Amino acid sequence: MLQTSVAANEAYVPPRSRRRVAGRLIVYGVLIAVALLYFVPFAYTLSTSFKTLPQTAYFNLIPHPFTTAAWTSVWKDYDFKRYALNSLFLAVTVTLINLFLASLGGYAFARLRFPGREVLFLLVLGTLMIPDQLRLIPVFVMLTNWHLIGNFSGYILISMVSAVNLFFMRQYFLTIPKDFEEAAKLDGAGFFKTFWRVMLPLAGPAIAALAILQFQGTWNDFFWPLILFGQGSEHLYTIQLGLAQLSFTYQTLWPQLMAGSILALLPILVIFLVFQRFFVAGVTAAGIKG
Amino acid sequence: MATTTTTASESLRRAGRGSLAGARIREAGWGYLFVLLPMAVFGLFFIYPLVYGIYISFFEWGILGKVHGVGTANYHTIFHDSVFRRSIKNIVEYTVVVVPLEMALGLLIALVINAKIRGRAFFRSSFYFPSLVSSAAITAIFIYLLNADGLLNAIIGGNRAWFGDPSTALWAIVGLNAWTTAGTVMLFYLAALQSISTDVYEAAAVDGTGTWRTFWRITFPLLKPAHFFVLVVFGIGALKLFDQSFIVSSGTGGPVYSTYTPVLYIYNTAFKSAEFGPAAAAGVVMFVAIFLLTLFQRATVGRSEAG
Repeated sequence: MLQTSVAANEAYVPPRSRRRVAGRLIVYGVLIAVALLYFVPFAYTLSTSFKTLPQTAYFNLIPHPFTTAAWTSVWKDYDFKRYALNSLFLAVTVTLINLFLASLGGYAFARLRFPGREVLFLLVLGTLMIPDQLRLIPVFVMLTNWHLIGNFSGYILISMVSAVNLFFMRQYFLTIPKDFEEAAKLDGAGFFKTFWRVMLPLAGPAIAALAILQFQGTWNDFFWPLILFGQGSEHLYTIQLGLAQLSFTYQTLWPQLMAGSILALLPILVIFLVFQRFFVAGVTAAGIKG
Repeated sequence: MATTTTTASESLRRAGRGSLAGARIREAGWGYLFVLLPMAVFGLFFIYPLVYGIYISFFEWGILGKVHGVGTANYHTIFHDSVFRRSIKNIVEYTVVVVPLEMALGLLIALVINAKIRGRAFFRSSFYFPSLVSSAAITAIFIYLLNADGLLNAIIGGNRAWFGDPSTALWAIVGLNAWTTAGTVMLFYLAALQSISTDVYEAAAVDGTGTWRTFWRITFPLLKPAHFFVLVVFGIGALKLFDQSFIVSSGTGGPVYSTYTPVLYIYNTAFKSAEFGPAAAAGVVMFVAIFLLTLFQRATVGRSEAG
């Protein structure tokens, strides 16, 4: 079998190699086209953010004159400093709470035995079927009744833990050998101490992935901040809401709008460049979610 | 001496048995304590709102709360509301076009990346990056590129305001979301492509089958589970279109309702008209539609994996 295929290969060498060259040309041709499709928008966004408004009428990639005026203007005059700090505060707070609660719950569902565990876990997975579009009205009504609209606590409260995160942590805890817990138990460690001192440090990679994905999710979130802060709570605006408002109100201030867009995506770019491999784990989790 | 030993070992055994039952109870207690807060969040902000949302949909409900029960009138209202009907027409048209476009672009990029090109990790990351960025940032960038004096018009020599023209606004959103989402679709196709055994291709090469024929006769049919998965998962995602419509139309769903979506209908009915009843009813309708599609996905994906 092997010999046949080698012989067949040899017989076809000249036409095959010609076809290969043609194939490579097509592959690289498509690659260049797709690369232009993806790089040109970002290149112009960056370029425009360093232009003056009259200069945006021309499509030269190198700004002339080169100015950082749009950046200072969105940061100071259009309040992006406050919006960025709001986003940062929410993203960090929500991420930390999720890490704690998803690990705590994930560990219990993976390792502790208690009656009703399987039913409760099915209930957790069932929440994945409830879309935000249905929750929107009842959650808004509930938070209004509790006077939690128009401050950060309502948003934090409804974002404390997600089924995806809890499921993700549970799956990771299931892969850790039981020997570690048994050793801790022999040393007389209690359940919380075993979780906190032994299991949590062992779950380092899962915690890192979850932290990155949750930070990204909260930083990018548009829907819930709009619902909870959109009704006249401008001091609570996240950077995504601030950017949308800038586009509504000053639609043709292109340099400012592009500087604002870059500010809204910059932290994600930095995290992506540093922690690329964790985002692939995110796609796997999305696969589970779907 | 012997007696003492027996007593000691016996009491030790009894204590052991006692502490075993005690340990079980302690473990269960800690288990409930650990899941208490997460379960409270799921119960209060997911499961209860499911019931409460259905409840609200049967009432006239204003900004100050419940007014009175109206039976199924809210459902009647929305299905006879031309704006809601228009939003359904829009979202169906949008989904039917955007999903195949995402699949085609995602598969094309996956095939190129899979063809052992130079700098493959770099290109894979670059094409995936837009999927990770906020909808607001990508939408703002496209508002700039597609404005009447924007880059697209400069390239093709036109002067159309793509988001300002009712005949193109929805299709401009299709373009922007296909561009954004193709990167994620690519990752699913790449994983599927890499799971295809190389034997199949070697056999095709031996038979002298051309590249184009190999793709349509071998690769494309073998990707069937991936096609199904992407179709249903991204189809459900497309039905939830909101951010992009909201931002390009300043929340109006315009021009002339051309970018109105069901989620935007829920939002505007609740927050612009303060009619929570019909808004909740529209939410229930969306939930049922998504639920049925998810069941369909579970059934079909499950079958295609088994088969």
